[in-house]
Amino acid sequence: MILKSQKTEFKPIWNVRITLISVLVLVLVVIAAISTGPVSLSTGEIFRTLFGLDGGLEGREKTLLLEIRLPRVVLGALVGAALATSGAVYQTVFRNPLADPYLLGTAAGAGLGATIAITTTNNSFSAALPIFAFIGGASAVAATFLVSGRYFSNPGVLLLSGIAVGAFASAVQIYLQQRNTEVLRPVYSWILGQLTVSDWNNVSWAALYIFFSLLILFRISKLLDGLMLSDEEAFSLGVSPNKIRIIAVVAATLATATAVSVSGLIGFVGIIVPHIIKGITRRVTNRALPTIAITGAAFLVLADLGARSLIAPAELPIGVITAFIGAPFFLFVLRTTKGGLK
Amino acid sequence: MIRVENLTVKYQDVIVLNNVNLEIQEHSWTSIVGPNGAGKTTLLKTMLGMTSYSGSVTFEGREVYKDLSRNVAFVPQRPLIPIGMTVIEYLTLGRAKVDGWGRELRRGRLFIQETLEIMQLVGLQDRFATQLSGGEIQRVLLARAIVQEPKVILLDEPTSALDLHYQIRTLDQIELLKQQGVTVISTMHDITLSNMYSEKIAVMKDGRVLLDGNSDEVVSSAQLREAFDNSISVYTLESGKKIVVASREESGRRDSNPRP
Repeated sequence: MILKSQKTEFKPIWNVRITLISVLVLVLVVIAAISTGPVSLSTGEIFRTLFGLDGGLEGREKTLLLEIRLPRVVLGALVGAALATSGAVYQTVFRNPLADPYLLGTAAGAGLGATIAITTTNNSFSAALPIFAFIGGASAVAATFLVSGRYFSNPGVLLLSGIAVGAFASAVQIYLQQRNTEVLRPVYSWILGQLTVSDWNNVSWAALYIFFSLLILFRISKLLDGLMLSDEEAFSLGVSPNKIRIIAVVAATLATATAVSVSGLIGFVGIIVPHIIKGITRRVTNRALPTIAITGAAFLVLADLGARSLIAPAELPIGVITAFIGAPFFLFVLRTTKGGLK
Repeated sequence: MIRVENLTVKYQDVIVLNNVNLEIQEHSWTSIVGPNGAGKTTLLKTMLGMTSYSGSVTFEGREVYKDLSRNVAFVPQRPLIPIGMTVIEYLTLGRAKVDGWGRELRRGRLFIQETLEIMQLVGLQDRFATQLSGGEIQRVLLARAIVQEPKVILLDEPTSALDLHYQIRTLDQIELLKQQGVTVISTMHDITLSNMYSEKIAVMKDGRVLLDGNSDEVVSSAQLREAFDNSISVYTLESGKKIVVASREESGRRDSNPRP
């Protein structure tokens, strides 16, 4: 075919400026989250302390910044990034805009794994917990596929299977809790979703797993776009659909399971954040994954700020905030983008 | 040259393709016809290299499952375009084979722009593909394959969802591709259209190729009617064109040879 046309006037599929804006939003949200609390810290003091410059914080305020607020903010960002990215990946892999890690049983499975870890080790944030949570999450996804049988490519069947597996895992989890009443409190506080007990030990464990899985997902993000086509089209374009699906599900499950294990069950992030980005940009490409991760991080840090500020000195479960600010904003995006998800 | 030799494909214990032999010349159009369940789509998928098989399927002498670098486009029978994907996004994915995943090169953009014009999709590029009419979606599916700049294009029932007007327009477009050097292999339910457009027709039934050869000869053959359990009739119009219809159809001058 001879190229005659010189018109190139159409929008690029992904614009890196959107990613830069999301980074800026994250930075602002992180600064706000670190400086806000019962003891206000100024931005200048925070920067001087972090970079070891003269005039930084000292004593209790320094401890407050470095040992309480900063790890909590970093953990929130990690969890938000993991949940938002996993949600977006599941939506692509299962060809279902309503898929999120929780619907497919991953979170309930991870919850069961974490409960087993708490009941057996009686140490809710040991290094073993993410491993137990991951095994639980991965087993739940495997069970969902097994239950779906040869209909696993049918999103409706898969979704129902995930709900069934999730309900079963939850039932076993509740049974374990009732049999071990002494762990009822840590298990319940874990299930409600919180970032209150974050310390650098938890953060570093979570960071290891989450960075590893996000790195894999970002690396295959362009190939994931192939999964949005029929398997035959994807194959004709050089993508092996089943191989990419397995890698994506394993990596997203690792990220979700880790997030769940350190923060409990925080809802809505995995479904709202990807759709907000897709709605604003009117693009469904998985090249948006890094931006979705950054936005998810900002969203959860902001939600946590709300959770600890709105009824201070008491705290709200973070899931209440994610739903409270997430759902209306999600609807707002849907309306203002002329039904971007139709 | 695409050569299929002693090809057998099984799904679990069910034999879907049974000792299929076929030769397809480059820059030609071959139609695969046959009743539902004959194995037509499986044959296309096997040619694509997606299906495990015994026997041999070679493109330019290389076994298809060993050489995934070849550029063969596939147009599915049913669209599977996700919610929220615009036409331009879908077409851009088609450039992945040539430009690489996630890369948007100037040449690729020009090619997409030109394909939009040729396929009369200008103005629809920012619309969500799922909101288009059946005819528009079919054009988008074909456009996605065209921007891939394939050497071979496999089409699974490209006209099944289209009205008569769009059937002809779509097939004319595919014909243009063939004239530009693309080898076309399509499954088609409409044997009359297959005869109009393709040089060669292969007749399949129960996983076997009953007959393949020059389109006019195949349409006139007894094996074609056998493949459809003698429920079709072949008529020759005054112009000499052959039309194939369900056997209860009584209009037109019935061909003296063959007789249903």
